[in-house]
Amino acid sequence: MINKSQQVEENPEGYREIEITIFRYNSGKKDDKPAYQTYKLIETPGMTLYIALIKIWSTMDHHLSFDFVCRAGICGSCSMVVNGKPRLACKTRTEEFPDGKITLLPLPTFKHIKDLSVDTGNWMNDMSIKVESWIHSKEETDIAAIEKPIEPDVAQAVFELDRCIECGICLASCSTKIMHEDFVGAVGLNRSARFAMDPHDDRTDDEFYELIGDDNGVFGCMSLMGCEDHCPKELPLQTKIAYMRRKMVSLK
Amino acid sequence: MKIIYTDALIVGGGLAGLRSAIAARDKGLDTIVISMVPVKRSHSAAAQGGMQASLGNSIKGEGDNEDVHFADTVKGSDWGCDQDVARMFVTTAPKAIRELAAWGVPWSRIGKGPREVVINGKKETIVEKDEAHGLINARDFGGTKKWRTCYTSDATGHTMLYAVANEALKREVEIHDKKEAISIIHENGICSGVVARDLITGELIAYVARGTMIATGGYGRIYKQSTNAIICKGIGVAIALETGIIELGNMEAVQFHPTPIVPSGILLTEGCRGDGGVLRDKDGYRFMPDYEPEKKELASRDVVSRRMIEHIRKGKGVKSPHGDHLWLDISILGREHIEKNLHDVQDISKTFNGIDPADEGEKGWMPVLPMQHYSMGGIRVKPTGESTKMKGLFCAGEASCWDLHGFNRLGGNSVSEAVVSGMIVGEYFAEYCATTHLNTNTFTIEKFLEEQKEYLEEILSYDGGKNIFDIKDRMRTIMQDKVGVFRNGKDLDDAVNELEELLKMVKEITVTDKSFCNNPELNEAYRVTKMLKLALCVAKGALDRTESRGAHYREDYMKRDDENWLKRTLATWTNPNDTMPTLHYEELDINKMEMPPAFRGYGKKGAIILNALSEVRETEIEQIKETLGKVDRFTMQEALLSFELPNNYKRKNERVGVGYD
Amino acid sequence: MPQNDNTVELLTGKDRLGKKSRIPAWLDYLQSATGLFLALFITFHILFESSILFGKEAMYRLTKMFEGEPFIEGGEPLIITALAFIIFSMFIFHAFLAMRKFPSSYKEYQRYRAHSKLMHHQDTNLWFIQITTGFAMFFLGSIHLYMMMTSPENIGPFASSDRIYSDWMWPMYLLLLISVVLHAWVGVYRLIIKWGWFDGDNPRQNRKRAKTMIKGLVAIYLVLGLLSLASYMKIGYDHQDKYGERYVSEVKK
Ligand SMILES: Cc1cc2nc3c(=O)[nH]c(=O)nc-3n(C[C@H](O)[C@H](O)[C@H](O)COP(=O)(O)OP(=O)(O)OC[C@H]3O[C@@H](n4cnc5c(N)ncnc54)[C@H](O)[C@@H]3O)c2cc1C
Ligand code: HEM
Ligand code: HEM
Ligand code: SF4
Ligand code: F3S
Ligand code: FES
Repeated sequence: MINKSQQVEENPEGYREIEITIFRYNSGKKDDKPAYQTYKLIETPGMTLYIALIKIWSTMDHHLSFDFVCRAGICGSCSMVVNGKPRLACKTRTEEFPDGKITLLPLPTFKHIKDLSVDTGNWMNDMSIKVESWIHSKEETDIAAIEKPIEPDVAQAVFELDRCIECGICLASCSTKIMHEDFVGAVGLNRSARFAMDPHDDRTDDEFYELIGDDNGVFGCMSLMGCEDHCPKELPLQTKIAYMRRKMVSLK
Repeated sequence: MKIIYTDALIVGGGLAGLRSAIAARDKGLDTIVISMVPVKRSHSAAAQGGMQASLGNSIKGEGDNEDVHFADTVKGSDWGCDQDVARMFVTTAPKAIRELAAWGVPWSRIGKGPREVVINGKKETIVEKDEAHGLINARDFGGTKKWRTCYTSDATGHTMLYAVANEALKREVEIHDKKEAISIIHENGICSGVVARDLITGELIAYVARGTMIATGGYGRIYKQSTNAIICKGIGVAIALETGIIELGNMEAVQFHPTPIVPSGILLTEGCRGDGGVLRDKDGYRFMPDYEPEKKELASRDVVSRRMIEHIRKGKGVKSPHGDHLWLDISILGREHIEKNLHDVQDISKTFNGIDPADEGEKGWMPVLPMQHYSMGGIRVKPTGESTKMKGLFCAGEASCWDLHGFNRLGGNSVSEAVVSGMIVGEYFAEYCATTHLNTNTFTIEKFLEEQKEYLEEILSYDGGKNIFDIKDRMRTIMQDKVGVFRNGKDLDDAVNELEELLKMVKEITVTDKSFCNNPELNEAYRVTKMLKLALCVAKGALDRTESRGAHYREDYMKRDDENWLKRTLATWTNPNDTMPTLHYEELDINKMEMPPAFRGYGKKGAIILNALSEVRETEIEQIKETLGKVDRFTMQEALLSFELPNNYKRKNERVGVGYD
Repeated sequence: MPQNDNTVELLTGKDRLGKKSRIPAWLDYLQSATGLFLALFITFHILFESSILFGKEAMYRLTKMFEGEPFIEGGEPLIITALAFIIFSMFIFHAFLAMRKFPSSYKEYQRYRAHSKLMHHQDTNLWFIQITTGFAMFFLGSIHLYMMMTSPENIGPFASSDRIYSDWMWPMYLLLLISVVLHAWVGVYRLIIKWGWFDGDNPRQNRKRAKTMIKGLVAIYLVLGLLSLASYMKIGYDHQDKYGERYVSEVKK
């Protein structure tokens, strides 16, 4: 079913008109049927999907649901499928699409809520608990004393991996995750690698094996590289998954 | 309708809320955090620049300690802050950062030996001490004497938030996201929880607890242009106001940041200038040294923002379809530095403006303009974090007026405040929850639930044909144009009147979607109503405050007036049917200050009407110093201002080279 | 009590000491090891096979060499049987391991296809190639290996060409060739990524390089294989009237 809603806008500068087609479905409503709805609007200079969606929402269709928080590519809320590719909507500029046609779908693999909105928070919390995404240390830290020195390069390397914003794009781009619900995905494996590299964490490889040494963990990854190629933070997922895999396989 | 019981309830899962949750869990309390969005998406994640803590590791931070940090904070606040709280804060901040380091925040570390930095637009070489190798580094930030702002590249808030959130998960704090608190349950001046709305199902849930903490962050979205996330609507603060009992403090104290990028309003961190970036006008001229010869681009935010607007008003702004702006130039820092330390800034500028700031010359300049950035005001609390008016209701972080920041907060002091108040207030809060019995009954709880249900139904039944989105836009434009960087009596008066009209107009809207569940239009309707109340507190507070202090700048009263205005504005919403807040004031007691009001050291000299008591207190301090003679700085400090801290946080902090001195 | 470690693992997923099973690690490792072994085998196999391009004699010599002629007079085809048996075992073992990764239900398959069609992502599509070629080889390769195992004496310039042309084996070989070349090289590419072999200083760049190299190798091997196949076809066509006749070495003549 395709609904067209049209809106006549002022367009004195003669900007082009773009067409945004959005997946509409309310998972919370029993009798709702999935549909696509197309909106036409005038593209303003520097328009991002955030700007476009807010415009549609506040002037054409108040019922549309989507998630934005920071609108600056920092918080990871606004992931959605843009013309087939999972991306951060707030960082996607409409001018990237020469034919002016954009289709938006909610992020797959997460529990669907409504329209473009999905539930990422609970999944990410569960994942964090599953891979025990926190420092394990037997030492008591005296917080009034001088902190433990860390090599600047090491701190920088850990930081690189700590940049993940739990946007879920790696999962939505991973066919393994699409097929196997319980796979922790690149986000989880990267998290393990991050702690494995952190000098504050004294977990052994054996202990990491307990967390990710199975087919829902590192051995579930089939090196499809969707994660690596779509991660908006350009994390080195390819090398870090390989790093964890080598570590885990070399255990006795 | 559902009722959930717990020991400790925290509304808001940013740095402040989550750190408090940890404090509560560590006392063995059942703890629930509810949050509008997944907690790791809280706005704390957006803090780029850094966190202040006087570690004094770097050579440029040598000699830093609690006293220096204290003085910077008090001056920064334009003497509006609560000095007890500032003392509590500066003493705990080094502990906070070391705790975070142990929790894995990958703070940038010092490499010993020479290192090239840009100071004042010039390259310089500094040599780091051997014994500082591997310790936490710091950068320069506005309004600070020493390099004190610790950072993780330019994603400081993100790494902090993730560390704290993960620690909370480790401790099995229960996290309920996509839940929005919409009213506070209270009886006889005691709070016993909140009514929240499940943003997925629309269901109303009563969260009932021995103690409740509000940590819902700022409310910058009442302005048209703001660096804040779009969830920063201040709902948590507004529901406190709506109790009719709780006071909001200093709501007119709104900070404008000098360098958000135009037009999106996304912040370019102060680190840009801290690291040596400069501001330029339409002629490419670096104008700040003319206005602020000493601090230049690094004067405090309120000063830089005003100077920028002043310069634009002189016709020196760069014309653009989005209005006039100025340039921020960081290309002088060199590509390598930018790609390593200001990666996100580069990313933002490239993505949203198509400009690579590492490009040499004009090509790499980024368009910037001051915009709303931080809410110094909030729920007025005691130094313990408990509301001055309601028992069992605590508040921490940006939502509070604890009052660390007075009329202007320093860059890097607010993520620091969020964590530190999570430790201190969190501890008092946990203590309260552990020692208090739940004091309510289902009858009261259901009354509050019912009230909210009826309220939402009432909104759905409005049928005046007006559109809530228009009202919101109007509000945000009024705030922007009339309650902005420069303020004056006439505009403020207009603003107050128009906002009041808008508030009345809410009853004339029509919500087109009538469903309870998953209805973003309904959400907007009640949120905008609450935002309007906050906007009124800001505008009315600004109108009545006939002086200039910190970020609050009146063109018609350009002097800071300690004689009449050394006091905190308190706003309450006495009656639900009111259309205007009730304002009263709380005097600041100069006699108890460790640092009596004086000139800040930047901004316009001589623009102060000093209070006679300042001098009295000054003499008194001199006397105390004389009587005590040669004592260590801790004894001296204690004699001037005695403060308390829970949980052994008052211990001395160790520093490189000086030990515990 | 009839209890051993396996029972404990069956019930808990952990061994008696409460440690997580190491089996998944082994399986993952073996899958790659067998895959790599087979890929290396195929690399040489196709090279040897293409000896036909240098003439019948070249191919004959090579065959005899594999039959161990330098040591055994006239060669011993049983050596081939043994070799084929080893390869066959490896082949089955690899297939057995790799099949764990197949979509395990139609629903999974459908989800995968819908997803990859939506995304147009190259490496994800490569995996599709890998499972389909793997699936095809499971049958085609088995037939081929079975033949090699059971009638090793029927290898030679004429015997092979007759089989390919007159016995109508060429369609199978064509499919097998395409499958195996794609499967092997895509597999090798994925091994490089999977274990991070040539990460170097710039893993992203090196991945691109690896991909380009792999594409080149696929092209070379396809061309080589097709030319050889054409060559067998030509010989088979010319030789169809004398079907069954065996090649006699020029040297012996
Ligand atoms: C762009 C930007 C950059 C900044 N950079 C710096 C910096 O470099 N250094 C510095 O010190 N400070 C910086 N700040 C300020 C600092 O980030 C914030 O002041 C601080 O993080 C606030 O933390 P918080 O815990 O109080 O609130 P937040 O992190 O904003 O968290 C608020 C929480 O409350 C929840 N919430 C809100 N309303 C409700 C409700 N009604 N019901 C349920 N939950 C609710 C939200 O979901 C969220 O979880 C920056 C701010 C911005 C905007
Ligand atoms: C030890 C085991 C093997 C032996 C002895 C062997 C032998 C041969 C021989 C003699 C031929 C020529 C055609 C023929 O005589 O029928 C051939 C062709 C071929 N074999 Fe094998 N083979 C073995 C294993 C494999 C395996 C495991 C595969 C792949 C799964 C394979 C794939 C092919 C292909 C694709 C061709 C056609 C080559 C071309 O087109 O040039 N072989 N093999
Ligand atoms: C019955 C035949 C075969 C089947 C069913 C099969 C199936 C598969 C599958 C599904 C994979 C992907 C595994 C994953 O994604 O992790 C795979 C990987 C691989 N296959 Fe095969 N295969 C077969 C034969 C072969 C042959 C003959 C070769 C060599 C020429 C080979 C070489 C490889 C290699 C190198 C890999 C990569 C290993 C890895 O990723 O760990 N396979 N195979
Ligand atoms: S790894 Fe990358 S894609 Fe995955 S959640 Fe983190 S930031 Fe997003
Ligand atoms: S896309 Fe999936 S299969 Fe592995 S390499 Fe990335 S996690
Ligand atoms: S809204 Fe935060 S990443 Fe897009």
